[in-house]
Amino acid sequence: MGNRHDSPRRWPMLRFDRRLIHYFDWVMLLLLLLVCGMALANLFSSTWNGGPHASPIFYKQLYIMLFGVILILPLVSFDYKELDTLGFIFYGMVLLLLVYAAFFVQSIAGTQRWIDLGFFRLQPSEPAKLVLVVVLASYFSRQEVGEGLGLLDLIKPGVLTAVPFVLIMIQPDLGTAMMLAILFCSMILFVKLRWTTIAALGVLGITAAVVFWKFLLKEYQRNRIETFLNPEGDPMNQGYQIMQSKIAVGSGQAFGKGFMEGTQGHLHFLPERHTDFAFSVWAEEWGFAGSVFFLGCYFFMLLWGINIALSARDKFGALLAFGLVMLIFWQAVINLLMIMGWLPVVGIPLPLFSYGGSSLLTTMLCVGLLMNIRMRRYQIKG
Amino acid sequence: MKNTRNRRRKVEKSARPPLLPPDAPVTIITSSEDAELDFLKKRSLMSSAMIIAFFALLVARLWYLQIQEGETYTDLADNNRVRYVEVTPPRGNIYDSEGREIVTNRPSFNVVLSRENNRLDDQLVKKVAAILEVEVTDILDRIRKMVGTPGHLPIRLAEDIDWEKVAIIENSHLDLPGIRIEVVPLRVYHYGNYASHIIGYLGEINATELENADRTVYEPGDQIGKMGLEKLHEADLRGEKGREYMEVNALGFEQKALKGVEPLPGSDLQLTINMELQRAAEEIMERDDKAGAVVAVEVNSGRVLTAASSPQLKLDEFIGGISTKAWQAMLDDPRHPLINKVVQGQYPPASTYKIVTALAGLGEGIITPDTTIYCPGHYRFGNRTYRCWKKGGHGEVNLLRALSESCDVYFYQVGQKLGVDRLAGYAQRLGLGRKTGVDMEHEKSGLVPTTDWKKRRYNTKWHEGETLSIAIGQGYDLATPLQICMMTAALANGGTLYRPALIERVRDPDGRILKSFAPEVQERFVGQGQNMRLVRAGLVEAVNGPRGTGKPAKLKGITVAGKTGTGQVVKLKQYEHLKEEDIPYQYRDHAWFTCFAPAENPEIAVTVLVEHGLHGSSGAGPVARAVLEAYFKDRLAQGQDVAYMLVPADAENSQGVN
Repeated sequence: MGNRHDSPRRWPMLRFDRRLIHYFDWVMLLLLLLVCGMALANLFSSTWNGGPHASPIFYKQLYIMLFGVILILPLVSFDYKELDTLGFIFYGMVLLLLVYAAFFVQSIAGTQRWIDLGFFRLQPSEPAKLVLVVVLASYFSRQEVGEGLGLLDLIKPGVLTAVPFVLIMIQPDLGTAMMLAILFCSMILFVKLRWTTIAALGVLGITAAVVFWKFLLKEYQRNRIETFLNPEGDPMNQGYQIMQSKIAVGSGQAFGKGFMEGTQGHLHFLPERHTDFAFSVWAEEWGFAGSVFFLGCYFFMLLWGINIALSARDKFGALLAFGLVMLIFWQAVINLLMIMGWLPVVGIPLPLFSYGGSSLLTTMLCVGLLMNIRMRRYQIKG
Repeated sequence: MKNTRNRRRKVEKSARPPLLPPDAPVTIITSSEDAELDFLKKRSLMSSAMIIAFFALLVARLWYLQIQEGETYTDLADNNRVRYVEVTPPRGNIYDSEGREIVTNRPSFNVVLSRENNRLDDQLVKKVAAILEVEVTDILDRIRKMVGTPGHLPIRLAEDIDWEKVAIIENSHLDLPGIRIEVVPLRVYHYGNYASHIIGYLGEINATELENADRTVYEPGDQIGKMGLEKLHEADLRGEKGREYMEVNALGFEQKALKGVEPLPGSDLQLTINMELQRAAEEIMERDDKAGAVVAVEVNSGRVLTAASSPQLKLDEFIGGISTKAWQAMLDDPRHPLINKVVQGQYPPASTYKIVTALAGLGEGIITPDTTIYCPGHYRFGNRTYRCWKKGGHGEVNLLRALSESCDVYFYQVGQKLGVDRLAGYAQRLGLGRKTGVDMEHEKSGLVPTTDWKKRRYNTKWHEGETLSIAIGQGYDLATPLQICMMTAALANGGTLYRPALIERVRDPDGRILKSFAPEVQERFVGQGQNMRLVRAGLVEAVNGPRGTGKPAKLKGITVAGKTGTGQVVKLKQYEHLKEEDIPYQYRDHAWFTCFAPAENPEIAVTVLVEHGLHGSSGAGPVARAVLEAYFKDRLAQGQDVAYMLVPADAENSQGVN
């Protein structure tokens, strides 16, 4: 059937099988562009400050977004299978960056650290989430599961997670560190655990949480959580932010105040209105209808991702796709629950929607990889 | 090459169906185990269920926040963003009876700084200080005082600056970001301190006033009428505050102006007071340094044309709050500038009371116009001797002479025959002993003693001898200048006692008349027309007769009728031998003069009281004359003799002699 001599398999990374275009994941691309479009519109509104032009922040995000969309082409052009091994190399590189950031970069405002690349300020904790998903998928795809994983089976993947976790905690970036832990849990639950393991992990988790609370959390981090549990105790700070966010969302009512007409965002009542609280601005300006439309697109994209996992041609692909979906999903859920007043302010962005280059690029990579897996759902004979 | 490419395309086309059979099962998994595929399916299903569950949860939460509680949060959002500042309305103007401005507003220009953030521009402060010619520290102090107040409230940097500075600031608008000129109405008193007791003054609302005030109308810092008409007609004058709404940001600084509500100016008051008469009265009191009261009313309506209390209240001392020192000085002043003597001063009415005694004597049949009494200069009653003011005595006097020469002995005897209670009945019907109800504060009611009163007050019997003092307006008798004036007016108009009125009309800013003066009759003293005419004749004689006591009030061309009075302050033997000028001020007698004119057809009644003015004739007469001259100015200038041209007002009401 195929032309073997026309499509040499010697350079799989560079070879592009044009038949792949036919299997290109247009659904995912459409969903991605829809979500990105809404994100840009929202960013335009939330950062506009009265001039004739959009804010520089808007243009910066626009360029990164365009770059990300273009990046999808090379991302789908190689076989994700290569990541099975390459993933560990990336993992090592990210660890080096995290070490560098943790020990050689001054902390800005007490939290996340950037590595200044001149044209771009990289937050190494963002790609860390991605490479963790890749190496865990790679590890578990080789693991014989049988009746489920035991505690001992978790040591190796546990270490793989713990190293970046600790490095990110040092920064200290509680939100991202927690994301790593959540991803680890999601992955092992997906892979299958023994009941005894689940029980043991539960005990371990609770103990860890207590220790964490008592010894490892910084004062302000503890405050955030305490404030959330008892918002009246601190109405002007953390509680204030959540209250203002709820006011913004609630005052959007059914159809919103209209694009650029939100008062909570434009008058600075909302904190972090273009980053963590970007969706508050959206909910305020577009109301319930607009919010449900956005969430519909967003969650359909996630479901589509699960579908990609289901239709992946191999276990690595399925695990990778699942992990990538979970990476986006948990960040989104945590961010949205925070915005709607059900979680404390933890500093986790809404992927694709919040302003921030590192997060956006990482999420774009996730989506690109998902499309890659989707395109190779069947063994293409070439 | 070309061939190859073509072939490849062909291959692709032909290759597609087998590569992706539409119904191909998803089985080509590396491990290719059914169990694994089942497992994957189960996990995907669970993951999808979780994702959908969270989606549903988020939508439910959105529903709750946006639909169910949407209104609440909208209110919260509006409360967040909308602030307002109140705009003071211009207060209503006050005009006199002829439409002359007494109190109006002028625009005053304040310099205000609208804050956009908490930063302070040093250069700006320096520039503003230079323009205003004040120290930089003054400006900084004012700014410092406002730190911590809501950010949308502007900071007042200077008040009431002159026009040149306004022009400089307006011209360098671009140079002075955030600096605005605020226009605030300020009170202007066109007649200075004239009529100050009845006009009153404004001041910042105090804690007690705030407690009793309508809090939707008044706020701390507001100006409120503190005295006089400014206080009594506060509701008419104040108008309605406007509001400037603005959108503020999270720090409370103004972002943009929203539609506001214009203030509604207060209603204007037109008074019955004629400021030219008022000026005449106050000028002469001021010139001669007299303390006392001058009242003039329109005889046939009760309109108060003049109500002066001397010394004047210095209004400028009250603007912006009076100092304790100045206040104490006024309290200690023996001339009592704080007292509005027109209604708050109570004095023995002295000989002006003889009008009452004469009317009572005629009305009760004790005397006729022809009854004569011999006056030897004193009257012996019981074991006491009651003196006439004229030591040598008046000799044989009838009613006309008794009134015109103010013979005490005549009225001792009339009073004695009347008795105190009958006399009191007449006094009360002429409005004495009770408040007139005029628009002035803290009005006193005076005192008309009766036997009952004495029993209640002192729990003792009335002594006959006391009636003699009462008959000539001494003893317990007390009256305010306004009461005497209203009594005189009633006498002049034939027996109608009007309620004295100060307000001619209240007019809202659109020109609608809200309230209009209508004469209010308090008492009609019927059946006394002839008697009143007789008393009036006595009063005409008092001013115009050869031996009349009221000669200083005589006018050429206008017949004035009047009665003098000299009110004893204290009866002390030690001063009796002194010359009048040597008696200490506070022991000197009060001087009364009450009159009306023209006698033939009375229009105006004037009452003058000069505290410690010694003699009614010399102390109070000229003041009354000055007011009358001002009132009749045109007619006097034309030399027009109005006398006898008009029919007396009580011509028809002439029955009832005896």
